[in-house]
Formats: sequence, structure tokens, C-alpha cells
Amino acid sequence: MPETPLFVGIDLGTTNSAAAVFDGEHVSVVRNAQGASVTPSVVRIDKQGRVTVGTRARRFIEQDPANTAAEFKRLMGTDEQIEFPAAAVKKKPQELSAEVLKALRQDIADQLGASIERAVISVPALFELPQSSATSDAARLAGFQRVELLQEPIASALAAGWRAEQDGAGTWLVFDFGGGTFDASLLETRDGLLRVVGHDGDNFLGGRDFDWRITEHLASMLSVVPSRKNPEHASALRALRLVAEDAKIELSRSDRAQVTLAQPLSIDGQDVDVDLELTRGTVEGLCAPLVDRALDVCVRLLTANGLGPGRLARIVLVGGPTVMPLVRARVAARLEAPIAEGHDPMTLVAQGAALYAATAGLDGRAPAQAFAPGRQVWLQYPAVSSDLTPHVVGKFVGDNPPAKVKLVRNDGAWSSADATVGEDGTWLTSVTLLPRRACTFTIEAKTMGGDNIAVSPPSLTIVQGLTIGDPPLSRTLGVALANGHVQTYLERGAPLPARRTFTHHTVETVAKGSSESVLRIPIVQGELEAANLCRLVGTLDIGGDVVKDTVPTGSAVEVTIELDRGGRLSARALVPVIGQVFEQVAHLLVPDAAPEALDSAIRDLRRQLMDLRTDAFRHGLGQVIEKLDRLEARLSEAERDIDAAHGGDADAAQRARRALLDVDATMAEADLARKWPELDAASRQAAITASSTVGFHGTDAERALLNDVLAAMEKARKDRDAPELERQMRLAQRLSSAAFNRTPEAWEWYFEDAASEVSRARDLPRANKLVSEGKVAIDRGDAEELRRVVKALWQLLPEDSEARKRGFDSGVR
Amino acid sequence: MSAKIVDNPFFVLGVSPDASRIEIEREAQKLLGMLELEFPAARVYMTPLGEQHRTAEAVRAAVAALRDPYQRLVAELWARHAPAQPMPQRGATERMGWTPPIRRSLGWKP
Repeated sequence: MPETPLFVGIDLGTTNSAAAVFDGEHVSVVRNAQGASVTPSVVRIDKQGRVTVGTRARRFIEQDPANTAAEFKRLMGTDEQIEFPAAAVKKKPQELSAEVLKALRQDIADQLGASIERAVISVPALFELPQSSATSDAARLAGFQRVELLQEPIASALAAGWRAEQDGAGTWLVFDFGGGTFDASLLETRDGLLRVVGHDGDNFLGGRDFDWRITEHLASMLSVVPSRKNPEHASALRALRLVAEDAKIELSRSDRAQVTLAQPLSIDGQDVDVDLELTRGTVEGLCAPLVDRALDVCVRLLTANGLGPGRLARIVLVGGPTVMPLVRARVAARLEAPIAEGHDPMTLVAQGAALYAATAGLDGRAPAQAFAPGRQVWLQYPAVSSDLTPHVVGKFVGDNPPAKVKLVRNDGAWSSADATVGEDGTWLTSVTLLPRRACTFTIEAKTMGGDNIAVSPPSLTIVQGLTIGDPPLSRTLGVALANGHVQTYLERGAPLPARRTFTHHTVETVAKGSSESVLRIPIVQGELEAANLCRLVGTLDIGGDVVKDTVPTGSAVEVTIELDRGGRLSARALVPVIGQVFEQVAHLLVPDAAPEALDSAIRDLRRQLMDLRTDAFRHGLGQVIEKLDRLEARLSEAERDIDAAHGGDADAAQRARRALLDVDATMAEADLARKWPELDAASRQAAITASSTVGFHGTDAERALLNDVLAAMEKARKDRDAPELERQMRLAQRLSSAAFNRTPEAWEWYFEDAASEVSRARDLPRANKLVSEGKVAIDRGDAEELRRVVKALWQLLPEDSEARKRGFDSGVR
Repeated sequence: MSAKIVDNPFFVLGVSPDASRIEIEREAQKLLGMLELEFPAARVYMTPLGEQHRTAEAVRAAVAALRDPYQRLVAELWARHAPAQPMPQRGATERMGWTPPIRRSLGWKP
């Protein structure tokens, strides 16, 4: 077994995949059997059921498209199956991804002579939970014992930052053009710590769009023009696309490229010869609008973070399309910043993933099988530390631990002071690292009498370098409620792993033995408070057939949502009245996108868009109109994807589904902007009320905080940022409530409010009884009792059924 | 609102509001290690509202909050101006919204 650690990172890409290893000081890219640093994410299964992966499989895309699959990453998390007719097998997307991972795992073993059990795999920043969990499944199928997932932009940032000079502090941008997505990340390095300042992106813009543009251009020059709408033309288009891809790569180096096919294409029963010429100018003309769209995203990101042009220290380019000279030139010119040189855009993500494996202490080799002889000690220390003097915490196992512990650096130039071991075996010390090096420390333990004791493990290694904190959650996670709102559990940016519990109450009775009655707890992801604008990522269903006893309306349900470092979701519901715990999360799938459903959705969106536009024109809202124009363009693109979906392209259907959801959410924001005058008035009113309640009843800290909120409201008003203004308004509201709750009259007000709605209560006799109890409590001045009464009353008041539908039929509030 | 005090990142980590970024990271890493190995001393922390139970999640959340300049500013404010008496706490299950007099003053139905 090699002495140095082996940290493995894998970039499982849409079109290409790559692997890299980090030994504590150097990162190297793993080469495959063909000697290439990237392996195409293509899988072929032949008649005998033999599986080929990579370049050898890619050659068959044209010859034998039916039995050769590519771009299956986009289908991860759906229950779409890919068919291989020759071998008569069907494979899930994660099974195909597993084949790619297996091939890479073998390449690593061949190159390093060590079997790899643990690794970090990168995933797109905006991957939804079902897609992430499918990726973990793929890794397990490929034989990995443990994997952690890492967002691609963070991986590339880490790799780029690691290489940067010591004084590389500053703000910089990662411009990541993947096969199917574009990501822009704004980062800051300070004191050796990498921080993601902001992220923006376009989930529907990538290298494949470049290829399609060129393909469509080539198709338009043929004597019979094939259409994406027609399933019969699919094979001709596939062949064209393959040559388009080659031509694009060739044109990165030369000015012209010949596009010829040895066999004529068969379109509508006719033989069509392909012998065309492409110039760099033509291709650049086709692709420039796509690059500009990516640049618009970057400018939006910079503006949102208060950075003007020319304020970036450097730009790091990632992904195949960025090799095009056009992309480099346009990016440097528009953002007025230098492009960082010396990074390989094709393997940077894999390198970053390998570095991250070190940060996570995820050594690729299987854990040591036999313990070294000696006194066993549990250790806790950072595997990678930006701090030059980190702590090391330890605990000896068993009774009568050694008395003193000392750590000695292997270069002999430094050793720690003697740390005293507590009676329970615990000790704490700090070590001094050498900059940018991997340092190994020997653990020396002594008894009270001064005798040396062998320790197992005998040493520990810490790498000094750039670190990134816990991976942040990319999208807010919560539970949809029966009133159509979302109870946020974990906010976007929350460090993982994370866990949170809230108590809800059921709105319906779940009868024992009845399979009809189900308590549904929908788990959603998204940034908006309205549940219908978030994405359903899983549901926890508690049916009448599994409960031990009937669960009456209003019963408490303690829901716990947990995410591990890789973003894997688990949820648990405890129902105290029957003392049962439920943990089966179902439907963890990206919903299926039938072309007909997409057709009707896009019609609805178009109509809404028209209404919004008419309204925006009437009120002269320039900013809103601009936003709507962008949506219009997105819809037109989605339309093209829906056409392709009708032609049988499941991947395009998923793309369209996500595009439509995005448009819907953006439209909700635009709608908010349209209601600006009302919002503006409401926010001013809120400011006044908050100032007076907090002024009278608030604490110093609340007053100080309110000042911040008021300033933020003023800024949002100046920027005409409706969602932000609404958010700040809610904060002011909460400060008001908190201050108000401290007044003696508060609960009397709540009581009157609830009592006025009592006729709508579910259990009227009980509600009436509570009202009388409340009156008595007020007369007696019993604040505690009044509080109890009000809370009980609230439980009896109904939720609106329309709202419940918007909340994914949630059975809790 | 008392969450602002008992969950204040500076109290959770047991560092002063003047602590540097490196000091905060170092302390958090040490506490996570101590919690993992079940050091009894790591399980509690002091706040002006009394002793609190410390968890690894709370430590992670605290250090993440302090990495964000705005959140750190707010946390510093609360850490420096923490009131000494407990305040009523609103649970997640309660209705959040305008208090009735405020709703009325905005012309809404009570």
C-alpha cells in the first residue's frame, strides 16, 4: 500500500468524464487506456451483452445509434429507461453512469495500482435532489463504498484557487460552459479560505446548443432538409451532429473545415450526399449569440454583487466550449478582466473534486484492514487546513490512558508541547504546518512514569492549503403546508450536513385500516414562499393502512429533514399520539414530461405572459418589459425542445419541463414587480408600524436590527427590487410581532381575532368552550392560560381547499 | 427573537465578537472534533440567557453564518447588545403574520 494518501475526484459529465488524484501536494489527471485525459460519457451494449465505454463506444453513435447511449446524465433522476435492442436489455440512466464510473475506477487502479473505494463526484450546481441521489446510486453500482457529491463550480474554483499565487487574494469569476448547462460563480479567496460570494447560471445553455446550431445550419444546406420534429429524421440528424461536433473542434485551430460523410444520408427515402464546407466565421456567427447570453448572466451576477466591469482579478474558463477562440476573446473583452492561464478546462472540475476529497478526509483506498499494534487513539483534525496552526483533538480508547501526548513533525524541525491527557483519555493540542505542504506528525505518548507507549495509528497527516467550508445547500428545502405556503427547513447556503425538526399539525383524520385516508407531507425545493412555485422532490405518506391507531385531526407531527454532505435527503415523521415513526420517502423522482402536458403548459404561460406584457406597457414599466422579453425568448426555445420531444427526444422533454417551471417562477417575480405601487405603499406602512411597535416595546438589539432592515428596505425601494422589498418587509413584520408579543394586550388581541372566526371552526362545541375559557382567562388576567386557549383555537380553524391543492395536497400545517 | 441570543454564532462558538476569521474557523474545527469524541466540556455553551446545549449542526451553522459579512454584522450586534431577561418565543407552528392592530391599521379585515 502506498505511503502517501490518495484522494480521488471524478467529473461525471454530460458529454465527457474525467478523473484526477491528489497525493497531498500534487494533483494529477488520470489517463485512460487510450492515453486520453477525458473519457466520453458514452455506453454501448452489443448483441452478446458486452458493454463498451468511452471513445470506443462513441465510434458507434453513428453506425449503431440504437445500441449506443450518450447524454444519459440529463435523464438522471427520471424513471426513463434506455433500451438496447440488440442485447434486449433496458438500463436506467444511473446504471449507464455506473458503467462510466466503473471504467474510470479501473483506469485509476491501472495507473496507481490501488483499488479505489471512496471518491468525490461532481454534480451541476442546480441538480435537484432526485438527480443527486441517482448519482450516488450510480457510484454504489460502480463499486464505490462511499462517495461525496460536490457542486461543479465549487470544484473548479477550488482547483483554480489552489494553483493561484500565495497573494492571489481577490474576487474572481469561474465561467463554466458544460455540455448542457452554463454556470457563473463569483468567488473570493481571503486568508486561505475560499468563499462562494454568488452564483448564477442558465440551466438550458451549454455546449450542445452550439452543436445543435451548427447541425441545424448544416441541415439547412442539404437538398432535403431534415426536421427535429420528425422521429424518422433522428438518425440523419444524429450523424450530422457528430460531424458538426468534429468541425467545431477543428475550427478552434484552423479557419475552414470540410464536412463530409462517407455514406449518403437517407432522408424521406432519398439518398442525400453530405459534402459541405464550414468557415470559422460562419460558426462564430452562429455561436456568438449563445456566448452573449452567457455573458449577460455574468454581468447580472456582477451587478447583483456591486461589481462593475474591470473589478475582477481574473476569470477561470471551464468546459469544452471555452476552448473556442471566440469564447475567450468575447469574455475577456466584455468583462474587462484577464483570463487565468495554465488551467486545463477539460479536467479542472475533476482536479477540484480530488482536492475536495482531501478536505473531506476521504482517502480513496479502503481503510487499513489491520490496526497497527499499540494503544488505540481516536483522532479529529482537519485533513486540509488553511490555518497554519490548527488543533488536533484525540481520545485514547479504554481505561488507564497514557499521561502525556506530544506531536513531532517528521522533518524534525518542530514538535508540540506535552499535552496532558484527561482521566477519560481526552487531549487537545495544536500543530504548526509548513505552507503549501503535506505535513506528517508522529504521535508520542508517555506514561506517568515517563515510559514511551506505542500508539495506533502512529501518525497523522495534514495538508496546508486553500480550504472551503462545508458545501452549501444549493436550493432552499422545506415542507409544503395545507395553506399553500412553505415551511422552510433549510435555507439555501446552509452548510451540509444539516438537520432540522419542526412540529406540524394534521388537518385531517387518518383512520386506522383505511387505505383511502393518507396524511401527505410534501417536501419541496425552491426559493419562493408559494408551494406551487417550488419543486416537489419527495413525499412522506402516512396511510391509514400503516398507522397503529387512528390519528385525529390536529395531532402533532414532528417532521425531521436531514441532508448529508452529498445532499442526500432523508425525512422522518414522528406522530406522538400513536408513538410511531415513519421514514419512507416516496416519489423521489423528477416528474415525467409528456409532450402533450408540455403543450398545454406552454399555452398557459404564453397567455399569462401576454397579460403581463399588456399591463407592463400600460404602466410604462421598462424593467418588467425587459424581463418579459427574456422570458419570451426562453419560451421560444422551450417550444423547439417540445417539438423535439414530440419527435421522441426524452432529454429535450425534461429540458423543456424545467424551462417552463423556471419561466413560471420568474413570471411570479415579474408579477410582483407589476404590483410595485401596492407593494411600495404597503412597505412604507410596514416601516411606520414596525418603528412604533419596536420603538415602544422592543429591546435595544431589536431596535438596532430594525434600523438595518429599514435601510435595506430603502435600498430595495431605490433598486425597485420587489422580491427583496417583500423579504425585508417580512423581517420588519417579524420584529414587530416579537415586540408586540411582549405587551400584555398581545394575546388578548389574538384571542379576539380568533374568536371572531369561531363560526368556521371544525369542532364548534369545543371552539365555543375555548372561547368561554379565554374570556375567563382575560378576566382573571391569566396570560399563560390565554395563550394556551388561543393556540388551541388556531388549531381548530380550517385551511382553504384551493390553497391546499397548491400545497401539493399537504396534510399538515 | 430569543433565538437571536441563544443561537448567536459567537456564543455557540464561544469566541468574542472581535475574533478574526482564522480564529473562528480554528475554534469551530476544534469544537467539531471535541463533539465527535464526546468531550463533556464541548456539550454546553454559555449565553446571557443561561447554559445551552451545543450540537455539531449548531457549530456548522454558526461558522457558516460568520463567513457571510452581513450575517456576521447582525450577529455581532446581537452578541454585544444581548438583553439579560428571557423573551417569549414563537414556535414554527404559530401563525406568522401581522398582529391584529397592525392589520386593522392597514385596512384589513380583523
